[in-house]
Amino acid sequence: MAGEDERQPQWLAGLALAAVTLEAAGAILWLAWRFRRYEVAGSSMCPTFMPGDFVVVDRKAFARRKPHPGEVVLAPDPREPSRTVLKRIARIDLHGGLWLEGDNPDESTDSRSYGWVRPDALLGRVVGRYWPLRR
Amino acid sequence: MNFLTRLLQPSKVAYAHCDGPCGVYDPASARIAAEAVLSMEKKLAALGDGQDLASQNTRSRFIAIKEQQAELAKKELDILWHDYFKPEHLEKYPDLHATFWQAAKLCSKNKTESDPANGEALLAAIEKIHGMFWATKSRDVAFYRAG
Repeated sequence: MAGEDERQPQWLAGLALAAVTLEAAGAILWLAWRFRRYEVAGSSMCPTFMPGDFVVVDRKAFARRKPHPGEVVLAPDPREPSRTVLKRIARIDLHGGLWLEGDNPDESTDSRSYGWVRPDALLGRVVGRYWPLRR
Repeated sequence: MNFLTRLLQPSKVAYAHCDGPCGVYDPASARIAAEAVLSMEKKLAALGDGQDLASQNTRSRFIAIKEQQAELAKKELDILWHDYFKPEHLEKYPDLHATFWQAAKLCSKNKTESDPANGEALLAAIEKIHGMFWATKSRDVAFYRAG
C-alpha cells in the first residue's frame, strides 16, 4: 500500500516537531528560572547602578564556582533577611566570608554595619542593567 | 516609553540602600555632651555659694549649659538607641534597654542636680554603651575623654 509508506514519515516529523517545541519551551523556562529581573532601590551603588534601574540577576552564577572580589551580588540583608541588598564584594576572608560594600560608601549601609556575609547566602550575581538602555 | 517601562518593570526590588540619610553613628557625640555636663558640675562646685552678682551670673550660666548639654546627651543616646541598635543587638545584649533607660535617667538627674558624681555616673553609662556599640561593628575602639 503506497499510502501507508507516506504516512509514517509524516508521523515522525510531527513527533520531531513536538520534541523541538518542548525543548525550546524547556529552555525558555530554564532561562526564566535562572535569570531574574530586579529593580534597583537606593543610591548606594551609584554611579554603577542608579535607583530605578532594571537589572538581570544570574541566580546560578555561584553554583559551580566561588564568588570573586569586585563582583556585584544580591544577598539577604543579615539584619532583615526578607530584604535583598545589592552590593559589591569588596574583599573575601580566608574562610570565604564576604565583605560587601556599596560603590557609593557615603550613602551605603553594608558590611561596615552588618559585618561579614556568608557566601552560601548569596542570591545571585548581577549580570547587568537592561533598562534604561542608555544613560 | 512609559508603556515600555511598565512592560519591562521587574516585580522584585534589590536594595542598594542606606539606613539613614548618612548612617553615621558614634557614641562620641553623647560622650562629649556628658563631659560638658560634668565640667559644668565641677565648675559649679568650685564656684561655691557666693551671692554677689558676678557669682550669680556665672552660676546661672553654668547651670544653663549643664541643662542644655544634659538634654543633648539624652537626645544623642536616644538616636543610638532608636536608630542604630537593632533586635539582634538586643539578643546579644539583653540589658541593652535597661542600660539606655538608666543612662537617660542619669541625664535627667544631671539636669535636676549638680553633683559631679552624677556626671561621672553618666559617663560610665556612656562608656558601657560605647563598648556595646563598637562590639556590634566588631571594632575595638578605645573609650577616651576629651576633658
